[in-house]
Amino acid sequence: MRTAVYWGCVIPTIQYAYEMSVREVMPRLGVDLVDLDNASCCGTPVQSINMHAAVYLAARNIAIAEKMRFTDLLAVCNGCHLSLFEAAHFLSYNEKLREEVNVLLKEEELNFSGKTKIWHTIDFLHDKVGEDAVKKAVTRPLNGFKFAVHYGCHILRPTSVGTVDDPENPRKLDELIEWLGAKSLSYPEKLDCCGSMLMLSHPDAAFTFTGLKLKSVQETGADALVDTCPSCQNMFDLRQKSAAATTGTRLNMPVVYYTQLLGLAMGIPQEKLGLNLNRSPIDEFLQKTLVH
Amino acid sequence: MTLTDQMSSKKPDAGLRLRVLDKAGEHKPYNCYQCIRCTSGCPSMKMLELKPHEVVALAKAGFIEELINSGIIWTCATCLKCKERCPQAVAPVDLIFALRNLAVEKEVKIPESFMQSLSMILECGYISKPQATITRKLEKIDRDKLGLPKFRESDERFKATLMKALESAH
Repeated sequence: MRTAVYWGCVIPTIQYAYEMSVREVMPRLGVDLVDLDNASCCGTPVQSINMHAAVYLAARNIAIAEKMRFTDLLAVCNGCHLSLFEAAHFLSYNEKLREEVNVLLKEEELNFSGKTKIWHTIDFLHDKVGEDAVKKAVTRPLNGFKFAVHYGCHILRPTSVGTVDDPENPRKLDELIEWLGAKSLSYPEKLDCCGSMLMLSHPDAAFTFTGLKLKSVQETGADALVDTCPSCQNMFDLRQKSAAATTGTRLNMPVVYYTQLLGLAMGIPQEKLGLNLNRSPIDEFLQKTLVH
Repeated sequence: MTLTDQMSSKKPDAGLRLRVLDKAGEHKPYNCYQCIRCTSGCPSMKMLELKPHEVVALAKAGFIEELINSGIIWTCATCLKCKERCPQAVAPVDLIFALRNLAVEKEVKIPESFMQSLSMILECGYISKPQATITRKLEKIDRDKLGLPKFRESDERFKATLMKALESAH
């Protein structure tokens, strides 16, 4: 199955491990990924400045997928996924806005029609690739491991726009964990925000969001926190030390992408999954997966 | 009877309120009956004292200038819980975005980083160019060394069109 893939800003410029692990696991599941030609920012960072321009930016990337004749577009970042989804939603009923956006898109011989279906890593793996294919690809099941999952806000809300899973009781990522033979823990702070969007205006508050959530996750005794959003990963993994310092907490929480975990369960070498790039203390956890 | 702000003696501004309502988004402040469900689930309420129901009430009453000049509109973490849970489809988060857009339009002082992101997008198409990073063993590494495909910056045509989009928006 051929699918267009859109990486956004954060993944190709700093969160390389997500890109590497997605590029490794998808072909093994029979998914042929094709990068969007001449893609650009999804619009999320511009929403606060100018919502019209943000909708144009989102529509532009969808229009590129349409021009390349893809019916499916995988947007692996939560922020990008919402931005594209929301733009497609606005443009589906607001004819005036659609006309304005299409006039802009025409400058680059593009056009938005809304026929391309937008996926995120979680629903793509859960609903499109499916349980049988994922389970079949697992050669080294993670039996006995316990994980805490973090969905991230932008793929769960708002229902009016369309979401990847149930906004108040999501299960898909938990099930994806179970398909690897591991257990997904239930914890009260599961839906709490990582704080990343406050980094631009209130970094201390952002780190407090991150630190408090990591503290709760640590108390569950999970082997690792598992996410699928590069902005959340930036907070939980890359900036875990700042989060610990801001909240006065001792944090030693391994944080990995689901696609890294899936890669491990498929027997893919760690370096190919970018597991040397995670900044949180994951070495002990990795050791455990090897002797396992 | 018209409301008056007790601190500044200012009257509401219906014209500015219309400008906010006109911004793209699904905000419907008139639907609000102040049940406070938005504020009770707001993570920025705990940390930064953002009270979405108050923002909605002030916008509804027409105190727009007060809102866009207040730092409070920049405390939203955009977790979208308010939009999800509102029984009246008010979408406080969309209203906050509309207020931020108006603050930019009126050249009110806004957090610098937002404009920096925009200028990077105008420069290369993304909020950042690929950054060199380090592994856990402190080895320097970049896209090339990791075997990832070359990163392509946007061309002039894209930049010109984005400029147009920024200018044409109301």
